[in-house]
Amino acid sequence: MKRLLIIKRFKGVNYLSETNATSSLSQRRSASRESGRTRKPKKNLIPHGIATFIIFILLGAWLTSKEPSLGIMWMTGIAFGFILQRSRFCFTASMRDPLLTGVTSVLRSVLVALAITSIGFWAIKYGAFVKGLPIPGMGYVVPISFATAIGAVVFGVGMVIAGGCASGTLMRVGEGFMMQILSLAFFVLGSLVGAHDMGWWQDNVISKGTAVFLPDYLGWFGALFAQLALILVLFIIADKWEIKHSDGQGGH
Amino acid sequence: MKEVVLDCFGEACPVPLVKAEKAMVDLEVGDLLIVQIDHSCAMKNVPEWARGQGYNVEIEEIEDGEWEVFIEKTK
Repeated sequence: MKRLLIIKRFKGVNYLSETNATSSLSQRRSASRESGRTRKPKKNLIPHGIATFIIFILLGAWLTSKEPSLGIMWMTGIAFGFILQRSRFCFTASMRDPLLTGVTSVLRSVLVALAITSIGFWAIKYGAFVKGLPIPGMGYVVPISFATAIGAVVFGVGMVIAGGCASGTLMRVGEGFMMQILSLAFFVLGSLVGAHDMGWWQDNVISKGTAVFLPDYLGWFGALFAQLALILVLFIIADKWEIKHSDGQGGH
Repeated sequence: MKEVVLDCFGEACPVPLVKAEKAMVDLEVGDLLIVQIDHSCAMKNVPEWARGQGYNVEIEEIEDGEWEVFIEKTK
């Protein structure tokens, strides 16, 4: 008879407890539900995967022959989507689950991702600065204003209702989740409305704020340190939050 | 020792989680809740929430992209 090992967490210590087959969950269900219902065998999707992979490579090669940067964007986009899907990484869940269930594992992984990208972007910008080249990406240093706060609230409400942020929606459309195709349609529509009104926001709200580029105020190393320190503080708060909100059962 | 099947096919995250949380309140210790989901995000947060509560959890992929999450109320 098949025996099942369940790892239980007790006061932070993992120990193995062997439960006999009668109390196993899948055994219980197989006794009551499985009978009389034959399951059709799953389709083998590996040939589809190989075919898709070959199409990706051929399209990538074709795009690169047209314009080298397109090939790089193509590969980065696919790599990003793949990692997003396989890791179940979800920016919506990172902001929503701490309040809904007290679980902060996704939030903490987003903070780690932010820390890594901070170091990467810092290195690119600092490298350009040391060589005396124009610093890339300075067009994205935009003023902080009420538009940031208003936009954050609207986007936050929208992504929780739609079941995904921008990247999450695109990823789940790829997975074939029908409802999210609707989300994508309205996401495009909303972007059009946003683009249409952007001029008004620019003139009346955004231009009244101040643009802050941290290295101008704290120096290059000070800016990196300040950013990483802030992320570390948020990480510690997130960790404490989870311990406080999950009945002390662990759940890491 | 009853079993409750919660059909959450087609429901986006976090609806399956909220439904599972509500359904769990009415169950008694030893009862089994079976949450059927096809949203990959819920595949992560439903088991994570249940494990955090200290329940026994098992996941089975019944079809490509469709899962059943078994949650046993242990307390």
